[in-house]
Amino acid sequence: MLIRLKGGEIIDPVNDARGGASARRDLWIENGFIIEAPEGRRADRTYDASGCIVMAGAIDIHSHIGGGNVNTARLLLPEHHSAHLPRPADTPLANAGWSTFTTGCLYAQMGFTTVVEPAMSPYSALHTHLELADIPIIDKATLTILGNDDFLLSLIRDGKSADMVDDYVAWTLAATNSLGVKVINAGAAAAFKENVRSFSFDDIVPAYGVSSRQIVKTLQSSVNRLGVPHPLHVHANNLGLAGSADTASVTIDATEGMPLHLAHLQFYGYGTEGKRKFSSEAARLAEQVNSNPDVTIDVGQVMFGQTVTISSDVTRQFLAIGNASPKKTIIIDGDGNGGGIVPYRYKENYYGSLQWAVGLELFLLINDPWRVFFTTDHPNGAPFTAYPDLFELLMSREARDRQVAELNAAALELTTLPSISREYTLEEIAIMTRAAPAKLLGLKDRGHLGPGAIADIAVYRRGRDIAAMFREAALVFKDGDLVVENGKVVNFRWGRALRLRPEPDKTMVRRMQAYHEERYGLSLDWFTFPDSALRRDEPFAEVPCNR
Amino acid sequence: MSVAWVGSQVVSLSDAIQHAAKLLASSHCPVISFDADVHGTRSVIALAEKLGAAYDHIRGRDLVNEITLFTSYGGMFTTPGEVRRRADLVVLVGDIPAEHHDLILSWASAPADLAAKDARRWFHLKANRPAPDNTGMNSLSRKVKAVALSAEGASLGSAVALLRAELADRPTVTSLTNLDKLKKALAEAAFPVFVFSGNTDEPMSLAMLQGLVADLNKAKRASSLFLPTDDAAWGAVLTCVWATGFPPRTGFPNGAPVYDPRRWDIERMLREKEADLHLWISARDSASPARRGGIPFIALVRTISPVPGAAVTIAVARPGVDHDSVTYSSRIGTFRAERASAPSDQPEVADIVRELAEALPC
Repeated sequence: MLIRLKGGEIIDPVNDARGGASARRDLWIENGFIIEAPEGRRADRTYDASGCIVMAGAIDIHSHIGGGNVNTARLLLPEHHSAHLPRPADTPLANAGWSTFTTGCLYAQMGFTTVVEPAMSPYSALHTHLELADIPIIDKATLTILGNDDFLLSLIRDGKSADMVDDYVAWTLAATNSLGVKVINAGAAAAFKENVRSFSFDDIVPAYGVSSRQIVKTLQSSVNRLGVPHPLHVHANNLGLAGSADTASVTIDATEGMPLHLAHLQFYGYGTEGKRKFSSEAARLAEQVNSNPDVTIDVGQVMFGQTVTISSDVTRQFLAIGNASPKKTIIIDGDGNGGGIVPYRYKENYYGSLQWAVGLELFLLINDPWRVFFTTDHPNGAPFTAYPDLFELLMSREARDRQVAELNAAALELTTLPSISREYTLEEIAIMTRAAPAKLLGLKDRGHLGPGAIADIAVYRRGRDIAAMFREAALVFKDGDLVVENGKVVNFRWGRALRLRPEPDKTMVRRMQAYHEERYGLSLDWFTFPDSALRRDEPFAEVPCNR
Repeated sequence: MSVAWVGSQVVSLSDAIQHAAKLLASSHCPVISFDADVHGTRSVIALAEKLGAAYDHIRGRDLVNEITLFTSYGGMFTTPGEVRRRADLVVLVGDIPAEHHDLILSWASAPADLAAKDARRWFHLKANRPAPDNTGMNSLSRKVKAVALSAEGASLGSAVALLRAELADRPTVTSLTNLDKLKKALAEAAFPVFVFSGNTDEPMSLAMLQGLVADLNKAKRASSLFLPTDDAAWGAVLTCVWATGFPPRTGFPNGAPVYDPRRWDIERMLREKEADLHLWISARDSASPARRGGIPFIALVRTISPVPGAAVTIAVARPGVDHDSVTYSSRIGTFRAERASAPSDQPEVADIVRELAEALPC
């Protein structure tokens, strides 16, 4: 079917369309792809986009939408679901899309068409992909967690070759159907099992004699050598602690000429100044990011209200048990990282106000929208349904000032936020949420509106209310199918999970077979699965490596 | 071979599905009891949503305590792999279902390669009551040479509470046998693990056990391993949780899922005649539901003949035997893809239920 999207204001930074009257034109779709305007043909279907802005479908690079820890959080908190009718309708997380089905619908309604689950334990890959396969409409992808697993730590300890490390990383990526590699508090989960409760970048995992830095550098190099498009995705040590900015700083310095992505930097933006020994170091970190082209970051913005923190950083989550609200938590010592579920309410007090400001400082002080990514680390900083309000804060100083007036003045005095006048443009929003994520993940078929791109398109009705504009897209197309109209889902199609397909080395496959039989008493097929296990037509789509 | 019946009359599969769909469509309050693999469970939820029905797992009564531990308390847990490789002290708590005994025995014969010491010590915390050894727990305990921990007249719940109190040096009216041995073993252990299941008459003992583990973690490390009463049932729980946000005992009275463990207790609904049609789905065996006040029922079970009393019977396949399957396994603490061991043409639950849903009037 030939579709014409008529008269919209195109905002497509990759193809030099920056909005405004000069960018008003038609967009044509056929067989799921964007095509050049066809000559002499009539559209089978025309949609009027006049008065609207047209962007590529948005891409979220870091949102915990499925898998063992997310599901455990659902199980822990049934009262956090709007449909738990005996409770008030506006229960915490009521609008967060707490099932796989609502997750896909709510993302699509905001114009998001691809979302990355950034923390998949290798042994939970089947569970994670079963959940992702049940998320409708959008495409998904996963990052596989390495860096606390016995096999990798043993390779490093034993001084095994880079080739062997690469074979192991490639095998893991292939076996887990993943798009990239994440390391979470490298070495800390392994050390925590030996009762080590604080762990920094140069600390040593006792049983292995390897440092967190060694683990990160090993994985960073391996990911680079393998040609994995997405740089190593690093959740650094000491998340959330006063003084964590120093940890982030040394981790950024460790890039050493190779790409590295630092996750949810807001949670590391804290210094030790002030009466409460908890201050903002966002300006310093932003400057460090600005001056290091090898580093990209996502923010992990905090928004106020109830949420639940879900993290495979088991050490950090264990330390946070005392802050749980409500007072029930789950801590898991897993085969590699494990994880922790700690419900938490961000209050408009000193600490909450400072965290909120730190995130915005990072957004506004990092100059290059190609290197700063739009996340709340859903649901850790806030549910993803808070995105429209966050867009407004970024695009309107007035909106920020209104909120600042409500918050803790002592906290804000320790930040630069009140002095920042920058307002994001729509073009910068399109870079940060479309073009840059596609580039970062190696997804050449999306993130832009040029001919040949898949027809993932979000159309927003222009209005003064920025949050309202982004909350309910006027039209959303996924692979050329109309899926949202006037903010409502109209077509429940199934998306796919994007994966790399590195060819596993045969010797490594035999090695993994022997390892699992010896260490777990089980054959390797207990830990792997065929595509058919997901019972979806074409559950996956392949993304090529860079080599 | 026949696979479908209306009453005792052999019919085609499609006729049976059409007949069942008519019954479901005309019901004011249909309820579903099911026992299926992941994909069967997904189809049951979709059908319930379309019908506005409520559902529970066939073993829902056994699941209540286990679900409540997670929904109301939480805790600290580890995986079977970590127990095998790291735990230098294992405390078996109460009766562990027989289906897990091979797993536990496999730890006894495997080295804890991630532990500092080779030797692994075993204890068994149990009720002190004359009761038949229905699960073979005493035999298992002997095989792993577990040191018994119990107190005169104490139930399992009391024994757990007593242990927690004594480890915290609180005064108690009685004492556990072999407590000194356990205290010494705990002092020497680097990663003790308490292995438990939810099949207890005292659900609070599960929360108390987690309190004990939390106490130990104030200064040292400890964890617990949850072995579900029924692996397949626990897999269904997890599937329901991601599909709806809630564990079973969920209904769709107004289109959206509503979780209420009492309201959607299917046995209660049948007993109190709130329901007027019962869909019974068991991919595991041929057991049929206990008849409740003459309420009609549809049976999707493993059978070669019509189920007595069923308005419609459809024979279904066994997951992992007749067809490939995805089920939860306590051997790895997560889901596993399982190849069919004896592939057959027997219809599988997911397909039948999907066809039932499609046969309903829109």
